[in-house]
Amino acid sequence: MSVSEERSWTAAVRKRAVGALPPDKLLPDKQPSYVASWIYVFGVLSLSSLAVIILSGTILALKGPGWWHFTGVGHFFNSIHLWSVELFFFVMVIHLWGKYFMAAWRGGRKAVWITGSITFLVAIPCALTGYVSQQNFDAQWISTQAKDAMNAAGIGSFFNLLNFGQMYSYHILLLPAAVVAIVIGHILLVRKHGVVPPFKVPAATSQASRDGAGPEAEESAS
Amino acid sequence: MAAIFNLNHHPSYVHWHFFQLSVSNLVVIVLMIVVFIAAILIPFPSRRATGGRS
Repeated sequence: MSVSEERSWTAAVRKRAVGALPPDKLLPDKQPSYVASWIYVFGVLSLSSLAVIILSGTILALKGPGWWHFTGVGHFFNSIHLWSVELFFFVMVIHLWGKYFMAAWRGGRKAVWITGSITFLVAIPCALTGYVSQQNFDAQWISTQAKDAMNAAGIGSFFNLLNFGQMYSYHILLLPAAVVAIVIGHILLVRKHGVVPPFKVPAATSQASRDGAGPEAEESAS
Repeated sequence: MAAIFNLNHHPSYVHWHFFQLSVSNLVVIVLMIVVFIAAILIPFPSRRATGGRS
């Protein structure tokens, strides 16, 4: 290795990135047998919903409020955007419940749990700013009610929910960028640490499970 | 959805002491609990069951 290569920051970043996440860990083609459960599907369902949200939101941003309020196709994409958000929260909360009861912060996965929790917290104002960006009476009602809530919480001086321009830029740029960035970090951390294994079962139950060739038996054999 | 459900009425709420929740939110929460329990109980189709090899 040359001296210039040793001092190169790009080489240092590459070494560190490949060391933390070698290609077979970044894009694995096998998962442990315990991942064969429906409860492990909700993470990827959250990701799929987020992809539909971003795609439908991009189309809505391109076409504008006149399109999403007054044309059939605009109504359709507006509904796709709304229902993908509903689905996103639905599956994300089930994902959160599943990981909570698995104590998914075990085995050095603290950062995985924290980034997931922060994603959930950032997604809430992302949805709220969407409701106040609709450009209809519903948005007016929600923004005036939410303004009072923010003022009561002592954070109303930082932003104005009645300011459509500010809320719209929060909704289509700042907050989605934050959600996507944290989600990317979350996925990379999952790849680095692996999917959290289930709790160890007591010996008697484990024996019964082996007799029945359950998933624990498969895991212990592998 | 308005064509399927009549939305021209006051929303229904469940009110118990300090606790107040719209019926629609309650339905969604109950549905989430049902899906959560189903995800734990329903067996996942394995490759072995379909004749493949892992």
